Amino acid sequence: MSHSAGTFAGESGMTADDSRGDRSAADVARDAAFERDALPWLDDVYRFALSLTREESDADDVVQETFLRAYRSWHTFIPGTDCRRWLFTICRNVFLRSRERQRPTVDLEDGEQDAVAAGSVFAAAREKGYDDIFARLDLAPALQEALDDLAEPFRSAVILVDVEDLSYESAAEVMGVPIGTVRSRLFRGRRLLQEKLVTVAEDLGFQGAGAR
Amino acid sequence: MSAPARSQLQELGLSATCAEVLHHLWDYLDEQITPEGAERLRAHIASCPQCRGYEEFQECFLTAVASLRQELGAPESLRERLAERLKGQGCGCWEKVRRKQ
Repeated sequence: MSHSAGTFAGESGMTADDSRGDRSAADVARDAAFERDALPWLDDVYRFALSLTREESDADDVVQETFLRAYRSWHTFIPGTDCRRWLFTICRNVFLRSRERQRPTVDLEDGEQDAVAAGSVFAAAREKGYDDIFARLDLAPALQEALDDLAEPFRSAVILVDVEDLSYESAAEVMGVPIGTVRSRLFRGRRLLQEKLVTVAEDLGFQGAGAR
Repeated sequence: MSAPARSQLQELGLSATCAEVLHHLWDYLDEQITPEGAERLRAHIASCPQCRGYEEFQECFLTAVASLRQELGAPESLRERLAERLKGQGCGCWEKVRRKQ
């Protein structure tokens, strides 16, 4: 028995001629799902891409590639799952490949160590009367700069969990690492940010309310 | 607890209960610990000024980081280019890319 074009086209029921002409019902359904589930996250993906690339033109390229890949691979998206997470995963992979790097391997400290070290940051801030700097001082520009300066794995963890409000589980999927690694990277990233911000406050001559 | 961690806690002059807060405050704020653990930390924080100060410090920090989520949208120029490229792929909803969802 020979395969007809229609049989080969499989589930879509689309023939080679259909692909150039009339759109099949499967194509229409796919495009409707893509429009409904993927396109609403364009702004979010752009924001994430920009935080990774830190250059608008690079972010544009990453976003375009992300959505083109998502469209071409739409059959691998599981309906009903978190499409934003899926797009973030593609976006990060596109970004990493664009840098022609392997996934970075990081010498990770124990998350516990970073949690405890954050206590030291607080103790130092308190000693200088800076323990309310985050409430009293507009540190947004300095915070953005400090975040941009973080090494990529830590930056991604902080952006995904603390800025984009993803769960540890979702961030782990996006980053392709275990949840424990997300936790370690997140804690390290937070601790490094706090250290930088306390230094910034000091450099600005911030006068703590409760300096002691 | 590891020896370096124990040493750091001693340097900070923290009690064992405060140490638990120090270790798990981020897990607590991120809702990554059990309800029983969360309740234990909550009760201690409520009665310990030092830990309450630490919680406020961390909460304010996390609020500041979260505020970085600007309402930053994809530029129109990007939407135009992406729409054209999706059109080239045969995507039927390419025009919707131009219009902000």
